[in-house]
Amino acid sequence: MSRKSERLVNLTIALLATKRYLTKNEIFRSVEGYEGTDDAKERMFERDKDDLRSLGIEIEVGGLDPLFNDEAGYRIKPEDFKLDLGEISGIDIALLSLAAQAWNGEALNEPAHSALVKLQSMGIDSDLDAIPTLAPRMASSHHELTAVLNAIASRTMISFDYLSSDLVKQSRQVCAYAVASRDGHWYLSGLDTAKDALRTFRFDRISEEIHTVGKSGAYEIPTGFDLLSTLDVELNTSVAVVEIRKGRAHALRKLAHKIEDAGEWERIWINYGDATLFVDSILWHLDDAFVVEPQSMRESIVRTLQMLVQTHG
Amino acid sequence: MVKAKPAPILDVERLLALVPFISAHQGISIKDLALTFSVTPNQMNADLTTLWMCGLPGYTALELMDLSFDSGYVTIRNAETLQVPRALNFDECIALLFGLDLVKSALSEKSELHPTVDALVKRLAEKSGLTTALRATNPVSAGLRATIESALTSKLDLVIDYHSLYSDEFTQRTITPLEIRLDGGIEYLFAYCHTADAFRVFRLDRVSEATPRQVSESHMKNPTVKSDDPHECEIRITSRLRLMSERFSLENPVLSAPQKMRTYSHQWVVRSIFASAGSCELVSPTPLRAQIALKAQLILDRYMQPEHA
Repeated sequence: MSRKSERLVNLTIALLATKRYLTKNEIFRSVEGYEGTDDAKERMFERDKDDLRSLGIEIEVGGLDPLFNDEAGYRIKPEDFKLDLGEISGIDIALLSLAAQAWNGEALNEPAHSALVKLQSMGIDSDLDAIPTLAPRMASSHHELTAVLNAIASRTMISFDYLSSDLVKQSRQVCAYAVASRDGHWYLSGLDTAKDALRTFRFDRISEEIHTVGKSGAYEIPTGFDLLSTLDVELNTSVAVVEIRKGRAHALRKLAHKIEDAGEWERIWINYGDATLFVDSILWHLDDAFVVEPQSMRESIVRTLQMLVQTHG
Repeated sequence: MVKAKPAPILDVERLLALVPFISAHQGISIKDLALTFSVTPNQMNADLTTLWMCGLPGYTALELMDLSFDSGYVTIRNAETLQVPRALNFDECIALLFGLDLVKSALSEKSELHPTVDALVKRLAEKSGLTTALRATNPVSAGLRATIESALTSKLDLVIDYHSLYSDEFTQRTITPLEIRLDGGIEYLFAYCHTADAFRVFRLDRVSEATPRQVSESHMKNPTVKSDDPHECEIRITSRLRLMSERFSLENPVLSAPQKMRTYSHQWVVRSIFASAGSCELVSPTPLRAQIALKAQLILDRYMQPEHA
């Protein structure tokens, strides 16, 4: 363990415990570890300030009084340094711990773990009996997740290469609004500046790195924007009527919002968004699923089947 | 875009986190502390020795933190300045926010905990400065996963209801769960299946029920792992290259030219060719091609029947 670590901890304690601003000379005199010439101490202190800042510890500069020829002073505000989540109960701790454990092994595992350690350091017992036995997990994550969220928090535009449906790299510039995870994929929504329209991107289709463009505060995010609700709307724009064989096509039955008995078959009503992808999922079920309506979808399926007969016959 | 912090900085971060943790866990063993902070017991000893030298300016017995750890168990006194844990940083806030949304989606609709979760989300969102909702869902039920994980820890068998994707059938099986693995966003349960008397892999999102039961007598009749040989197929993609390369897990997908791929299930290949709706053709093996043509004609015939037209 280096002397430097020890000095940084001592500096943090000193600046945190002080009720008034400490001048550099007071710091050099009282905090253990500042040695050498004035110049050396000065450089040491500048580096220490940067190091603490990189840990998210902000050192406040103050105590300058224009009437007196005062030296600048330094302190760390306890209210910025210390965890304060307001009133926290054992149930809150149990829920937050469950939330942190959801990252088991995935991208945000480290911050989730350090958050968990902080929660366990509050001296409040987790009330596990008050919550149901659950083991939620993030199904996956992406290494650029925090980069995008930082850009969203500071409202800085981002750019990246995106794989088109033909696997061609296309350069996109986006004012990112939100990030969400569903069915094992991560999504990013925002205003595509070239298209001037809202677009949703899948993280695993972003090729290589995500870069920030320009300054922070470059755009506004619509209040209450919710990516998954937006996706839900897009996925539920039309209704299809489908006949499925009893005891088969379970995946389609699960999506139905209305089911009618039809002898050997069941007639189901399903919402869908993208017609092409919906046809794909109907055809996956082979002769266990038939589209009744819309007529245009039946025609497109018939054309596909004719093509399959022709190419494979 | 993420920069790794240099070692002394990470040390300081850990030292600052150690003080409140020990304060809340007086008498904890060095071994457990090392585990919690993911360092070796030797490193933990070095950390504690450093902390022992830290305190308020003056650094006499009055100002130094009073740390005792000779016995292998750690207590701390006189550490008021650092006793409260540090504020959550941005990454910690978002990790918790996504996690809380998962917890919320796992709670039953009627659960009385929803307002509690909402209140926590509101507080953390304010701290993180994010104004949009961080949402996460998982197709696997969190209650079901808890049942499976508990069976794994207590070495119990499970009776599961499973929907096989390729055969589109529901079956009930008795299994000995071995491990949950995550691959490409999908969770798999590796298990010994007593119904099939062989090792099997189950997709967790296709398990609809799981009930623990005592280990059966016929425990693992065929404990050797026998994997089926993969079949080689040749496909030709004609459009929607991105979707096809994702569906067939191709590393170097090409358009128009035939390319080889491996599969363990002919059922899966047939279904996938149909679900590609003309964007992909099966080139070989020939018998499977004929099967596809026949099946397509069969479905076509039903579409053409007058009562369905």
